Amino acid sequence: MWWIKKALVLDPAQGYTGERDVLVKDGFILKVGNFLEEDVPEFFGQENLEGVKIVEAAGKYLFPGLIDVHVHLREPGQEDKEDIRSGSRAAVRGGFTSVLAMANTKPVIDQRALVEFVRLQGERAGMARVYPVAAVTKGFQGQELVEMMDIREGGAVAFSDDGLGIQNAEIMRLAFEYAKLTGCPIISHCEDENLAARGVMRRGEASARLGLKGIPASAESVMVARDVLLAGEAGGKLHIAHVSTKESVMIIRTAKKLGIDVTAEVNPHHLLFSDQDVGLTRTDLKVNPPLPTKEDQEALLEGLLDGTIDMLATDHAPHTWEEKAKPFPEAPFGINSLETALAVVWQELVEKGKLPALKVIELWSRNPAQRFNLPGGTLETGSPADLVLFDPAYKERITAESMESKAQNTPFLGQELQGFPVMTWVGGKLVMADRKVICN
Amino acid sequence: MEGIPKNRIMDEDGIRRAISRISHEIVEKNKGTKDLLLIGIRTRGVPLAERIQKRIAEFEKVTLPLGLLDITLYRDDLSTIDVQPVLHETRVPFSIEGKTVILVDDVLFTGRTARAALDALIDLGRPQKIQLAVLIDRGHRELPIRADYVGKNVPTSRREIVSVCLQETDGRDEVLLLEKKS
Amino acid sequence: MQWRHKDLLDLDTLTAEEIRHIIKTAQPMKEILSRPMKKLPTLRGKNVVLLFYESSTRTRTSFETAAKILGADTTNFSVAVSSVNKGESLLDTAKTLQAMNVDLVIVRHSSSGAAEFLANVLEAGVINGGDGQHAHPTQALLDFYTLQEKLGGFEGKKIVIVGDILHSRVARSNVLGLKKLGADVTLVGPPTLLPDEMKYLGVKLSYDLDKELPGADAVMALRLQLERQQSGLFPSIREYSKLYGLSLERLKKTGKKTIVMHPGPMNRGVEIMSDLADSVQSVIEEQVTNGVAVRMALIYLLIGGGTGNVVD
Ligand SMILES: [Zn+2]
Repeated sequence: MWWIKKALVLDPAQGYTGERDVLVKDGFILKVGNFLEEDVPEFFGQENLEGVKIVEAAGKYLFPGLIDVHVHLREPGQEDKEDIRSGSRAAVRGGFTSVLAMANTKPVIDQRALVEFVRLQGERAGMARVYPVAAVTKGFQGQELVEMMDIREGGAVAFSDDGLGIQNAEIMRLAFEYAKLTGCPIISHCEDENLAARGVMRRGEASARLGLKGIPASAESVMVARDVLLAGEAGGKLHIAHVSTKESVMIIRTAKKLGIDVTAEVNPHHLLFSDQDVGLTRTDLKVNPPLPTKEDQEALLEGLLDGTIDMLATDHAPHTWEEKAKPFPEAPFGINSLETALAVVWQELVEKGKLPALKVIELWSRNPAQRFNLPGGTLETGSPADLVLFDPAYKERITAESMESKAQNTPFLGQELQGFPVMTWVGGKLVMADRKVICN
Repeated sequence: MEGIPKNRIMDEDGIRRAISRISHEIVEKNKGTKDLLLIGIRTRGVPLAERIQKRIAEFEKVTLPLGLLDITLYRDDLSTIDVQPVLHETRVPFSIEGKTVILVDDVLFTGRTARAALDALIDLGRPQKIQLAVLIDRGHRELPIRADYVGKNVPTSRREIVSVCLQETDGRDEVLLLEKKS
Repeated sequence: MQWRHKDLLDLDTLTAEEIRHIIKTAQPMKEILSRPMKKLPTLRGKNVVLLFYESSTRTRTSFETAAKILGADTTNFSVAVSSVNKGESLLDTAKTLQAMNVDLVIVRHSSSGAAEFLANVLEAGVINGGDGQHAHPTQALLDFYTLQEKLGGFEGKKIVIVGDILHSRVARSNVLGLKKLGADVTLVGPPTLLPDEMKYLGVKLSYDLDKELPGADAVMALRLQLERQQSGLFPSIREYSKLYGLSLERLKKTGKKTIVMHPGPMNRGVEIMSDLADSVQSVIEEQVTNGVAVRMALIYLLIGGGTGNVVD
């Protein structure tokens, strides 16, 4: 039981911010409000008072735990990069109480047994809630659909071949149609492989200057257009992963106006780094989709503010040091993000007035919960006590030693950031305090 | 290299007389000008070689062929120095095969420049004889090398610097003895 | 001026003064090439490694010749005979070279940035012998040497580079350097090989060769990778050649005694016709000779003298 006193509460579900006390009992939110000292014992019940721990939270924000709908935890098969235990520990350190683990592991998660394995590994780790995302097509081959119903029974909350785009439009259309049985969204990694043509960064003057093979913006946008049309036609649920072009934003905005059931996410790195930041030795910034132009960044931010884009997601993609210590074209795509994402969004967007704090929580907690039908995302009485206490003044240098993730492929390595979660609860259980994961 | 001037070893007249004497000695020692070639070592050996060429032409009515030698690529201290020496062209537009080559330099000191020049010369062909002419011999040899023609022998200490100035390169003719700044 | 470079990776980091110093240093090297006895003691005991991940007999031979004339020992660490093709990472190869205490590594690699990657890991100097589509600085420098020799300078000279600009590290490095030297550069090619983003180079882009030829002091043809036809970048060799191939007749449009250059190896009858390649206007063979001289100059500058002031 917890009595969190005088926190600055951010709860987009109830639309408020302000100083409140938060009471937690039996893993659930008991009450949120401004209470008189003497009233509180009654809420917990006099007989329980000894078990109530008090947190003095003045000057710190309290919000529903973040839900990240796009992480790569690499287990099974690539445990040298990350595993479900290390990834879910990194998650709670970063303020995430739930994560959706992508299916591009080895083997890919395309059967119920594998889905259950991922779910169970998450439960064993006992950190963030780990929700499996299953493949859309068997073996990521883009040819035959997986047993979606059986897999949903096993605990999958969405389907995605993320890592690869589904090139065959007819398969994608069938996926939308069949997935209606499950009620789960299809998460689309929008990438036309012929247009992308094994490029390594956004095509433009920056790629021309560096002599790096470029991926045109259209490689993403034409697939976004295709998928919203297919979802509209088939009537399925579409979630577009890692939107990075202004054209994609425009298409999604139009699709929403047409009533198509589409949501979309943007990754913090696409808001914070542009193609101008890429250099031949900056493999830490090699990511897919590639870093966009400044114009794209403006459109993405506008999309977040006007509701075109529904959520933030990290696309946490750990890779070993050796894999990134290569010439740019040979290094793998991906940024290690769970432990820095909230801090940099806070430092660069919230503090600079580009994104209101309450909006960030809506984008990263409430909207993901609603779209993927997950518990959390709200502080309403009776909801699970997935909570984050966030200290906007807390400073930390990002180092290999301090990180819970197995990999350190972050562009912030060695840098000091400001604004970090200092306590994280999952289901009322404290899993992180003072920036340290609490072991069982 | 900077230094504090101590005294003047040679003035314009002194240099002129030394060149004249060396020129005569070259012709005398080689019994005429047949098969003689002059090769100046960059930088100040070049104007000295030109002056010798001109002087010999005056009294022998023969203009000896004149070449320029850059010895940078033959230096034995390249891997130990900090500076980046500028390369210049070596221009020896004639065959040295079977000839008598008079190498001309300003100062003979450790002998390393002369050694490098001998290597550079031999890469260009196989002369019959090589003789060395210098304006100043200041001693302190580190290699078994001696000059055949010397303008002036100047006993020096290692702390001293001999500075040769020529009209063509420095705008005046004189040789100074300097004390190294400590 | 100070010679402050451990490596030569691209033209971005060289100043005009440094480029001119390299050209100047190559002049005495060219004299040495004309000698019957081509061997210097300068770099005796120095070890130069040729690390070639892309086969290029020309470039490798040119570097090897240059290093050997200067008296260095050369080691070929080439794809066919080393662990390179067993999938050893470039990082591990670099560590191996470091352990061998080599003095200079000349690297050619299909990945842009591979030379810079090596330079960051190695204490030894690194010369970029061509990395991906990024840079080929020694080719550009030998082109500058040739232009200096033939045109007497760069200021106000019109230089037309024609061909597959998009994929050409030669074009990139040439443009960067020529701009610094004050030349007036025009790039010509079909839109698929000269896309809009090349405007970052800050020089004139054109699709029409015949329109750009008048007044040109030098025309440089780039090698066309014939397999690019399969990727749809141009419809046929025939059409490419018709639009962008250089011939003796076409070159008359310059109205000048224009020189013709090509980095080699040439596709005769595609980007350049034999009548022109073998004409007096062609300096293509001299480019090869100059290549050795320029590479000698660079090797000398990187591992011959120190990194202090340039002294005369
Ligand atoms: Zn993806």
